[in-house]
Amino acid sequence: MLTNILGKVLDPSYAPFLTGRQTHVLGIFVLLLFWLLGSALVAVLAWPIPGSVVGLLGLWLALVVNGGVPDWLKKPSSLLIRYLTLLFVPAGVGLIDHWDRLMSHGIAMLVIIAISSVLTAVVMVLIFRAGRASS
Amino acid sequence: MTDAIRMLLALVGTIGFYLLAEQLYIRLHRSPLVHPVLVSIFGLIGVLTWLDWDYATYQQDTFFIHFLLGPATVALAIPLYEQMALVRKMAVPLLIAALVGALVAGASAALLSALWTGDTLLSLSLIAKSVTTPIAMDISAVSGGSPSLTAGIVLFTGAIGCLLIPLVLRLMRVHDDAIHGFVLGLTAHGFGTAQAFDRSVTCGAFAGLAMSLTGVISAFVIPVTPLADWVRVIIGL
Repeated sequence: MLTNILGKVLDPSYAPFLTGRQTHVLGIFVLLLFWLLGSALVAVLAWPIPGSVVGLLGLWLALVVNGGVPDWLKKPSSLLIRYLTLLFVPAGVGLIDHWDRLMSHGIAMLVIIAISSVLTAVVMVLIFRAGRASS
Repeated sequence: MTDAIRMLLALVGTIGFYLLAEQLYIRLHRSPLVHPVLVSIFGLIGVLTWLDWDYATYQQDTFFIHFLLGPATVALAIPLYEQMALVRKMAVPLLIAALVGALVAGASAALLSALWTGDTLLSLSLIAKSVTTPIAMDISAVSGGSPSLTAGIVLFTGAIGCLLIPLVLRLMRVHDDAIHGFVLGLTAHGFGTAQAFDRSVTCGAFAGLAMSLTGVISAFVIPVTPLADWVRVIIGL
């Protein structure tokens, strides 16, 4: 009886969900691999650039060469991006260590963010207008 | 309490808080002021203070969540690839616009803060304010800022941008959804992109593209500009 159950479990046709999961793992493996390659490249060249972003560009180039996004990469990536905001909650809670700074410069910080955002928006619109006028 | 239980409590508490905050956000018609990430961060700060847990321990216990930012950042290559395919003809002008926008957004905030607050760490953390959070935290670390402070600043920038940018665009009589989306995504990253998708698919696609381009360009350009040195010089004067 035991061999009967084991036989069923080990039979791939009996566990199609298992193969589905393996493809997810391949996607995660590829994401980690590009992160590793980006970080290693940045370390070797002593560039002051985040390794994760170099990995992003590397994967983008691979997708351009490949001419499409394979499903096994798209599924785990979509899940990570869908919950991207959850992923930086632990770091955001680190604001607790800057509480005094927020109390003394918090208002100035918000006003600076507002001024800088408006300035950036105005400059961007002017660039697009200039580009449209010249073309 | 054993270490394993404390770690699981931190993980379950963080994810649970976030999921509840997401429900609240949906109930309150997706106002950027009650974005689940803002509510979670300030809520959890409250919980940590109340329970008298120190942040270093919490950070260690939730490292599993934080770690996933690495593969998630790499995964941003996929939306970038899909959006670039849509706008291939306009790629060069959009790259130039994103480069200028990223520099204006970072430099204006950092220099203004250096002049006004004289706080070096705050000013350096403001450099990456318009960059999507995972990339912004890495840029901040490389430039001498604080990744945690940057995470907070980026979120405030997103919420403030969603409130102010549509007003600016209306005052400047911008009626083109592509430009509207691009400006919103460049200044207010993920928050702006979410808002842009409420307006139209075109608006959202351009916002997403602007967000990805700003992130990648900022990561390559900001660390090699003398911006961090200028901030230190202004504060040193």
